[in-house]
Amino acid sequence: MSKILLMGSPNSGKSLLFNRLTGLHHKVANFPGITVDVSVGRLQALPELELVDFPGTYSLQAISADEKVAVEYFERSLLDPEVSQVLCVIDATRLEKSLYFTLQVIRECARHGKRVMVLANMIDVLDAHKLSLDVDGLGAAVGALVLPVSARSGKGLDAVIAELKKASVREVGGSTKPQVTALDEQLRITAHQLAQRFGAKGDVLIRNQTRLDGIFLHSLTGGIAFFLIMYLLFQSIFTWAAPFMDAVEYALGALAELVVPLVGNQTARDFTADAVFGGLGAFLVFVPQIFVLTFVIGLMEDSGYMARAALICHKPLRLFGLTGKSFIPMLSGVACAIPAIYAARAIDSPRKRLLTYMAIPLMPCSARLPVYSLLIAAFIPAGTALGGLVGWQGLAMFAIYFFGMFCGLLVTALVSRTSKDHYNDLPFVLELPPYRIPSLLPLLRNCWNRSKHFVTKAGKIIFAVTVGVWGLGYFPNFGADLGTSWLGYLGHLIEPLFAPLGLDWRYGVAILSSFLAREVFVGTLGTIFGIEAADEQTAPLVEQIQNSDLALGSGLALLVFFAIALQCISTLAILAKESGSASLAVKMFMGYFLFAYVAALAVFQLTSLFTG
Amino acid sequence: MSSSLWTLKTGDSCEILGYDDALDEKYRIRLMEFGFHPGESVSCLQSLAFGAPKVYRVSNTVYSLDDEVAAHVLVRITTSHE
Repeated sequence: MSKILLMGSPNSGKSLLFNRLTGLHHKVANFPGITVDVSVGRLQALPELELVDFPGTYSLQAISADEKVAVEYFERSLLDPEVSQVLCVIDATRLEKSLYFTLQVIRECARHGKRVMVLANMIDVLDAHKLSLDVDGLGAAVGALVLPVSARSGKGLDAVIAELKKASVREVGGSTKPQVTALDEQLRITAHQLAQRFGAKGDVLIRNQTRLDGIFLHSLTGGIAFFLIMYLLFQSIFTWAAPFMDAVEYALGALAELVVPLVGNQTARDFTADAVFGGLGAFLVFVPQIFVLTFVIGLMEDSGYMARAALICHKPLRLFGLTGKSFIPMLSGVACAIPAIYAARAIDSPRKRLLTYMAIPLMPCSARLPVYSLLIAAFIPAGTALGGLVGWQGLAMFAIYFFGMFCGLLVTALVSRTSKDHYNDLPFVLELPPYRIPSLLPLLRNCWNRSKHFVTKAGKIIFAVTVGVWGLGYFPNFGADLGTSWLGYLGHLIEPLFAPLGLDWRYGVAILSSFLAREVFVGTLGTIFGIEAADEQTAPLVEQIQNSDLALGSGLALLVFFAIALQCISTLAILAKESGSASLAVKMFMGYFLFAYVAALAVFQLTSLFTG
Repeated sequence: MSSSLWTLKTGDSCEILGYDDALDEKYRIRLMEFGFHPGESVSCLQSLAFGAPKVYRVSNTVYSLDDEVAAHVLVRITTSHE
């Protein structure tokens, strides 16, 4: 099959053009080891041709590990005999930005005998402002055919298809031959001269952008807009996704009620109910949240606001070794770490992305809430202070939430100062793209792809671990008593580990089972204490814990342990997939376990000193 | 007299003279790719509060640079609103 590479710098409208040409039917693949997607799809009008969407990059001179992998992929593709030609997308409204990269691509293609067609995108924007681009002159100057197109309206795409139909490889463009031997410095000068000569004259577009930036980056109005948009983002994860998450849970529950009674054997029935449907429910419930967050973040990216938000947050986050682009993933992490890790894809610096990955699991996610609620109700008195203004339990909840965030920033600050990985860092030079109205269909398609990625990639690992933990809790007594199961045995085995925190085997078992999801801690503890549906009604369990002679220090130690420890298989699975490094996930799990244990031990010992 | 890009205030324009030696090579490459090369005119569109990255226009594109980068770009101020 003949392949066509689609190249272009970021914000050139390349992805939208790809969706237009392939009719949104494409698959997404990842480069090994890094977070860079390559979409592949057949051209709708010419199904015999495959279009490969190359990751957006500013230059063929790689300055980070991510870029190096992407550039090497391009160079390998040029050696592939199936690659017949290259489409290079440029932003017609900002010619100089795109031309340097385009000239580099033309040079490399000329060296390898590949045909290049330059697509001057966003021609509709120029038309709307009565501006023009001399495509013939530009084509003659760069030695390639230049076609004006609009990915948004579809204008000019028929001409692109007509050109692609011409199967014979031939020289196109004007009389000037591509600069096969030109050095990058020469190309940069040429790009500047060509943009001055053939680009659209006038700065009406910049003036419009600056007017809106005057609102969105203003100290007062920008602050208000930022707060409102972040509130919207937070609401979308917590509130808008909730009915869909409930619907997934309900649908799985209803399906389980239908299917489980049909299974004859008791063990197979328990397996189907608890491991299969329980396991599916444990990760499918996150799909709506991932979909909604991807949609809102996509709106922010496509509209151009994401870059402004990154700019606003950059200065304070830089103190902790992070970048402004880390803010949204970290805020999302307060709802759930899984969509937050996906959101970290927007961070172009691999080093900053890694640091953000490290901070996300320490954000106080919603799965910690049931654990915090149980422990606070059991150990913190319900009284108030300052004439009823401050409730002790509310204050404790605030403190433990803040503690998690503080730990996240502390970790990134320490790691960024002690580990120098300069090669994988990038400077904060952020392009502020023009404000645009997002295109809905490609956005929804992206949400679908991201959700599918979660189910197909992370789902397998999560399901396998779920089945494993279920087996440990079910055998050898076939679910009769968790305390005498293999999981119970393991709980007894690790009791010496938790004994210094004043915790017995029951808490050890609950902590082990909470590896599936933190909130499972509450249900497991309920099962061990013989309380039905403890995860829905915690009062009897709170009473049991209070009567079990567990020391205040142990309760506080548990709170601290849960604030830090990374015992969430879904998070670990998606971390391994997104970072391309299973060892990173293992190291983070072990590192945060150790950190959590030491911090919990310190809290237990300190509390014991004061309470005797 | 030369000063740095970071010293520009909203509405100021300058001509880029070069980069100081403290600026890492790869940062220099990226700046050049974005159009911040010697001889180019740059204007400061917005200088935000609390030391946040500033907004610059170069050619027909708008970029935001923080002080870690902009302070190493040597410029000659051509239009000042002071």
